[in-house]
Amino acid sequence: MANIEIDAPETSQLFIGNEAIARGALEAGIGFAAAYPGTPSSEILGSLAQVAKKIGIYAEWSINEMVAMEAAAGASFAGIRSLAAMKQNGINVVSDFLANLVMTGTGKGGLALVSCDDPSAISSSNEQDTRPIAKWLDIPLVEPGDFQEAKDMTRWLFDLAEELGTVCILRSVTRIAHARGNVKLGELPTKQHVAYFEQIHDLKNVMPTTFIPMPSPFRHFLLHMKLEKAREKFESSPFNRYLGPDKPDLLIITSGSCWLYSQDAIEALKLRYRVGILKLGTLWPLPERFVSEHVNKSNKVLFVEEIDPFIERSVMELAGNLPPNAARPTFYGKRSGHINAFGEINPDMVIKAISTILGLEYQPRDVDYSKKAEAAAKSNVPERTMTFCAGCPHRATFWSIKNALKLDGRDGFVTGDIGCYSMALGPAGFFQVRTMHCMGGGAGVANGLGKLGQFGFDQPVIAVVGDSTFYHATIPALINGIYNQSKFTLVILDNNATAMTGFQPHPGTGMTAMGEPTKVVSMEALCRSLGAHVEICDPFDLKATTDTLLKMMAKDGGTKVAIMRRQCELVRAKKENPPYKMHIDVDKCIGEACGCDRLCTRIFLCPGLVWDKKAGKSRIDEVICSGCGVCADVCPQGAIIREAA
Amino acid sequence: MANKGCKDLVSEVIDSKLCALCGACTGNCPYLSYYRGRITLLDNCSRADEAQCYEYCPRTYIDMDAISQKIFGMPYGESETGTIKDVFIARATDTIIRKKAQYGGVVTTLLSLAMTEGLIHGAILTKTSDDKASAPFLAQNLGDMLQCAGSSYMACPVLGRYNQITKDDINKLGIVAMPCQVLSIAKMKIDPPQNRVNIGNVKLVIGLFCTWALSPDFHQFLKANLDLSKVKKFDIPPPPANRFDVYTASGKSSFPLEQIRKFTMPTCAYCLDMTSEFADVSVGSVEGMEGWNTVIVRTDAGADLIETARKKRKLQIDELPASNLEHLKEAALLKKKRALNEIVKRSGDKNNLLYLGLSPQLTKKLLA
Repeated sequence: MANIEIDAPETSQLFIGNEAIARGALEAGIGFAAAYPGTPSSEILGSLAQVAKKIGIYAEWSINEMVAMEAAAGASFAGIRSLAAMKQNGINVVSDFLANLVMTGTGKGGLALVSCDDPSAISSSNEQDTRPIAKWLDIPLVEPGDFQEAKDMTRWLFDLAEELGTVCILRSVTRIAHARGNVKLGELPTKQHVAYFEQIHDLKNVMPTTFIPMPSPFRHFLLHMKLEKAREKFESSPFNRYLGPDKPDLLIITSGSCWLYSQDAIEALKLRYRVGILKLGTLWPLPERFVSEHVNKSNKVLFVEEIDPFIERSVMELAGNLPPNAARPTFYGKRSGHINAFGEINPDMVIKAISTILGLEYQPRDVDYSKKAEAAAKSNVPERTMTFCAGCPHRATFWSIKNALKLDGRDGFVTGDIGCYSMALGPAGFFQVRTMHCMGGGAGVANGLGKLGQFGFDQPVIAVVGDSTFYHATIPALINGIYNQSKFTLVILDNNATAMTGFQPHPGTGMTAMGEPTKVVSMEALCRSLGAHVEICDPFDLKATTDTLLKMMAKDGGTKVAIMRRQCELVRAKKENPPYKMHIDVDKCIGEACGCDRLCTRIFLCPGLVWDKKAGKSRIDEVICSGCGVCADVCPQGAIIREAA
Repeated sequence: MANKGCKDLVSEVIDSKLCALCGACTGNCPYLSYYRGRITLLDNCSRADEAQCYEYCPRTYIDMDAISQKIFGMPYGESETGTIKDVFIARATDTIIRKKAQYGGVVTTLLSLAMTEGLIHGAILTKTSDDKASAPFLAQNLGDMLQCAGSSYMACPVLGRYNQITKDDINKLGIVAMPCQVLSIAKMKIDPPQNRVNIGNVKLVIGLFCTWALSPDFHQFLKANLDLSKVKKFDIPPPPANRFDVYTASGKSSFPLEQIRKFTMPTCAYCLDMTSEFADVSVGSVEGMEGWNTVIVRTDAGADLIETARKKRKLQIDELPASNLEHLKEAALLKKKRALNEIVKRSGDKNNLLYLGLSPQLTKKLLA
């Protein structure tokens, strides 16, 4: 990670977008930061936590986004500038709190929420757009167009939030969050943070300070006034600007990373003198005067934005208010089909849209280019599907789950959840996961399935959840299962890390974000205290794990918990040497013959095992093999040998 | 039989309720696994050209003439009880064996003798647990063998345990098997398995008489009705008793056969073999003579062992009364006729005998 706390104003640093945001927050003088990890947002809190002690701020990985937001609001109420960060899914988790926070207003410390959207859902279950949510929650929202803006906007957002007295959102996307660029630094504040919850709000009337959403209609009215104030400020914001000819043939209205794609497209088409770009940084509330001034520059307007037609719809609303005889440009974008309303946008798509609108012939590249590029890329990349790491405990767990469900014979299935183990919906987990929605959703779905006995339902249900996800959102579903006697087995994949997002600590790890040792919240003690029957398995012991799962599925009664306890291999490997050195006894390996049909490289699919087609034998890839030894128990011929390393 | 694999085994045998739970497809195959009365396909195996699970299943095509030719040097004949060298009644001279035995203790005696003589180093048997669930077991001494004496009447995938023995294991083996399992072993003998067990090591096959077997589900039924830990012995006395007896320390309780018939393996209705016709020695009860076994000697290996037992006075041997032999033949013929009719009823075609490769003449005769 970059050095975000460096005190060198006016120098340039190479930052990823998330580090730029974190730096912006430091320059704004935040004292409190809370987040739940989620790609592509995790590095914001990650980088703040690393420097928190040194800088004298507080940073935490919260149990979930809701608590992160609430905790940050608490700090704001006591006068501390605070930040909450999350990925787009997290916004749903906090939306209930936000819907009330906008009514109560924030405290003396400005409060900013960073939401990182993930167009194309590269590391997500969906590609939800935060912008419409800001609109329906009446929250001002801004979006940086590059790394410098990511830093500058964040810094400015705290001033704005404090002035308005309401939470403000900075929306980022993967290509801003994770791409890297130069950022010119500003000053770091030297002010000492003092936290105090002012009991008296108004000295004249001796009114106590409250953050209560009632009376709601009045508070709602006040909120709209705050939004109007924000709109007024946005009208002259330097984050909104126009670049292009006075009378362009086509006006592009864009924001965020799409601004960069639009510039590339115009450059590639050499249309700098024909096409103009109106780049917006403050998206909600829309600076209507500023936009109106530009929207009639051309009779053709193209909206280039990722995911939802947010700017497009907002500008169309604006156009609806134009005087009856005013000239109306033709709008192009998602509604017209020129820009996709799903997935990421790239310069090619923008080029295609511009070319179509302006009737240009443009061949962006050699027709066979994509094929050639693919071939070139493949020549350097081992052919491998998306899978668990070599030595990952999840592979072993899903092997046992698969076998247990098959042996049980009642057509049981797995309800899945969010984490590395989401990959179990594919070959990595032997296609075991049948439902997947949101954090904790798998256990919730299992609650319903587990109550269908009266309708003849006898299929065993296994809800699979990671350790971090268990703490995040599964506990209420577990309590519900125990309370309402729903018949399912909750399998907690306890690898002692929030592995998918970068091994952030959680309540079960005994470590805080700032590296301090803390109390371990024992999941088994918690589950047992709720009255659940709890078993703890070592997933590497395939037989015992399978037997335990079979027993739990066969047992009557309500919700049961099986904890699969094995440290994430990536964490373990950093601390210890591999437990085993693996090799193949080629005399015993029967390869594709009857009695094996290369079970290890065809079904088990650990990347540490490779099929030597020429020899007709399996082979250990010594670079990748982590020496976990599980495959020795999978091999039906005893041909995979583990020796103590 | 070419080009058939585990998926065909599942559709033609397992899902068609023809599976006898003999265990022949399990034990050294990672895809097929036995659990609680069912063979399960865990993953898809792509072998369709040399799938031994399909090949050695006693309910996939079986060429009776070829097997008989291999084992007895002659085509499959018309005898109701198969190829016979000798038939008699016998019982163990060892009182400890007799006390533990289901009937006369002949099986345990022959196994222990074969061990002592060095003919075998161990035997694949069925062992019942304290709560009377049966499981395959590799017995390696006389104590082990005594523990396996007695019958549970429930199907048990004994051959799955056999298959777990590696090909390079040099120990010679005996197997005590039901007729369906004896058929599977016979199939292995005519076309020895690749990458699997060394069938040449099986030196003694003792086949049991069987009219039908009970599904392992029966165990659940018994468990619900009895304290199984107190059970000493199960017995289905010969007709016309028509009951299933359970002996405990405190006495005997009985279930009418009608009550337990629903637990019989559906596949038994399609089985023609009552006396384990391809075994070395076949052993059963003797109608009207408690504490004795009917013994059919079929092969040279079987005859040699019996001869040793006779010489060493391990067995007390007597003549099988003529009327008993007649009854045995009648019963065996009745099973053949019934089963063949069931097969034809199921296939709907007299020329389609499902798995059975029987000569047209014999088919015609049995269906008559």
